[in-house]
Amino acid sequence: MKETDRIQMISLGEAGYPSRLAEIKNPPNQLYYIGNLKMLEQPCAAVIGSRTTTTYGRNTGTAIAKRLAEHGVTVVSGMATGIDSCAHNGALGAGGNTAAVLGCGADVCYPPENDGLKRELECKGLIITEYAPGTRAERYNFPTRNRIISGLCEITVVVQARNRSGSLITAELAAEQGREVMAVPGNIDSQYNLGNNKLIKEGATPIISIDDVLEPLGLRRISAEMARHKLSDTEYEIFHLLEEHGEMGIDEVCYHIGKEPAYINPVISVMEMKGFVFTALGKIFLANV
Amino acid sequence: MLTKVKTATLSGVKAYPVTVETDLHKGMPGFNIVGLADTTIREATQRIKPAIMNCGFHFPNERVTVNLVPAARPKEGSHFDLPIALGIMMLGEEVLEMENTAFLGEISLDGKVNPVRGALPLAIALRNAGIKNIVLPRGNAEEAAILEDINILPISDLSEAVDYVAGDRKLQVYKRKKKTDEGTRDCPDFAQVIGQESVKRAIVIGAAGNHGMLMMGSPGCGKTMMARCIPGILPKLSYEEKLEITGIYSVAGLLSEEHPIVQQRPFRSPHHTITQTGLIGGGAKPRPGELSLAHRGVIFLDELGEFDARVIDAMRQPVEEGIIRINRNLEEVVFPSRVMVVIAANPCKCGNLWDERKLCTCTPKQIESHRRKLMGPFADRIDMHIKVNPVDKEKLNEMRLAGRWEDTASMRAKVVAARVIQENRYRGQGFSCNGELDEKGIKQYCSLDEECHRMMVSAYDRLNLSMRGYNKILKIARTIADLDGTENIEQKHVAEALMFRIDSDMQ
Repeated sequence: MKETDRIQMISLGEAGYPSRLAEIKNPPNQLYYIGNLKMLEQPCAAVIGSRTTTTYGRNTGTAIAKRLAEHGVTVVSGMATGIDSCAHNGALGAGGNTAAVLGCGADVCYPPENDGLKRELECKGLIITEYAPGTRAERYNFPTRNRIISGLCEITVVVQARNRSGSLITAELAAEQGREVMAVPGNIDSQYNLGNNKLIKEGATPIISIDDVLEPLGLRRISAEMARHKLSDTEYEIFHLLEEHGEMGIDEVCYHIGKEPAYINPVISVMEMKGFVFTALGKIFLANV
Repeated sequence: MLTKVKTATLSGVKAYPVTVETDLHKGMPGFNIVGLADTTIREATQRIKPAIMNCGFHFPNERVTVNLVPAARPKEGSHFDLPIALGIMMLGEEVLEMENTAFLGEISLDGKVNPVRGALPLAIALRNAGIKNIVLPRGNAEEAAILEDINILPISDLSEAVDYVAGDRKLQVYKRKKKTDEGTRDCPDFAQVIGQESVKRAIVIGAAGNHGMLMMGSPGCGKTMMARCIPGILPKLSYEEKLEITGIYSVAGLLSEEHPIVQQRPFRSPHHTITQTGLIGGGAKPRPGELSLAHRGVIFLDELGEFDARVIDAMRQPVEEGIIRINRNLEEVVFPSRVMVVIAANPCKCGNLWDERKLCTCTPKQIESHRRKLMGPFADRIDMHIKVNPVDKEKLNEMRLAGRWEDTASMRAKVVAARVIQENRYRGQGFSCNGELDEKGIKQYCSLDEECHRMMVSAYDRLNLSMRGYNKILKIARTIADLDGTENIEQKHVAEALMFRIDSDMQ
């Protein structure tokens, strides 16, 4: 089978053309796609962000996509490195639906290192583009591609964006299209979070817990309370500490709890295995339960 | 006319006895040395003749042939000057019985005897060959006198040796100035490191089990400082270890008259531009490299990412086996290299990857190649990954006031106690630390009960542990249990060991 044989096409006005996309000001006249187009009729959420990211960004992006996918939401993103890949992988990891909107032909893999991800998306998800097969990834394709990402979705979540990230264009387009824009707040010291924090300043809904993304889609929040009785006293003390202060190094935890590392270390490991915290960069983060 | 004088020659950090045979016969006057002598020894002909004459003695105006026995093994070193000179001067003279006496020393043109390289290993080899007295340069006396069961007879010039051989003078047996001076340690104290208690805990574990450690953290967070403190918490050197290490340093020519004996565990921190030969040892006449100089101590590789990848790879086998074999055409030289490996690395090339306040300027490709270097084959030898965070200035003050931090003395006490437990357990097994356990040893000594096993299975799933990582966790858990003084590995030991696991993606 030739590469292009798998690519299907649908025109504006035909039955099956994504209905939300048809509502926007300048919908593409035809869409080329590989995979199951029907998933775009499910509730859709764009999970996007910069290519260069931090662990915080990648973890949050993955967690948001996972949570959305678990609730039957189709996660739409742009298959770029960084947050986009995390979004697709998060949804795929949860066995959910995910669609990648490309800025090139559906038979072209850009960036090339995402070849494996693209193959997986072709089987388990959806590849969609307005560009004819063979179209190369050009710089100027991406901003126009972004209107499709936001146009397909009820909400657009910007996980982490640098100051001049393309994600901010998508967010702007989403707002123009009358769709909900949400952003993950980031450390204000961090260069990587300037864009998403700026969006919040400009009126985007901040996501202060992963479940927040479910709210505008009308999906129920899962209670975090049940977590409490699963933890021992020390564990809960640490849990509480992290809730209050955000991520911490082990030495800080030891200092606050008043115990030596030999005592705290095993507790953290156990909490990590229970899924309440995760460690990265030598710090302990509260996992979103 | 024939004389025989005992001496020895170096082969790596070991030595073997050599007999210098000197013969005089009629013919065209000449002076030849045979028996695989190197250039230094062959040049001795030019040094010895004037030296003998400048001391007022007679140099035979006949044909002199010197043979170094065994003739088929290569010999090197300027310390052959003294035995050769004596061999010539004893010709036809009445001398003392020299069966139990050996000589080494380099001679100046004025007859002064200069210190030589490798005096201790030479003396050890001679002692093992049954020699009772060694006449050597005064500058080497303190070093060689660490050997307690042999008479060290220091001399300053050739005539002293000649008088001694002729029986005209008695030489004083050298007594060491200070019996021991191990009280002073020149490495910094852990008490100077504040607010890194969790890293100190990790280091105690690593040192107790002799686990290879990789400390990762942004520049300036104290990795190097803490690494420098590590020799201080290791157990004191035994007499045999001191002999062994001093021998290596003697061969490398790193001993001085002020520091004739290595009293403390070595700490070697080679610069990242080091070559393979510099690190492993080698050269036309093999010399010990940094790995051997760190024998029984710590080798610290600061900024692993900057080292040549091939140099790092070359370290793997020596560190694994504890010895380095270097083959030269006539012999195989063996250097010891039982070291504790401590590595410091930035999280990426520019170092800012983990610091959100600064922008990481690395491309994904650079990050990947940096990661690969840390994860290369050598990383097999690294059991523990330790994350080091910079200490906040404000928190530092807070913690300073809180005043609960460990110092070198308290850390060493823990390490020593755990090492004793391990030595007793592994006696006669050919290894002495948990870090050296192989697959079979892990099965035998790191068995887990039902509960711990369940925890490991869950860690395997949830924390993305690899099979290799699994075994490393077991070894670390064994060490933590030893630090705790418990015979069986408990759940809390496994759980703590998991804190030092190697992240699957390492970011």
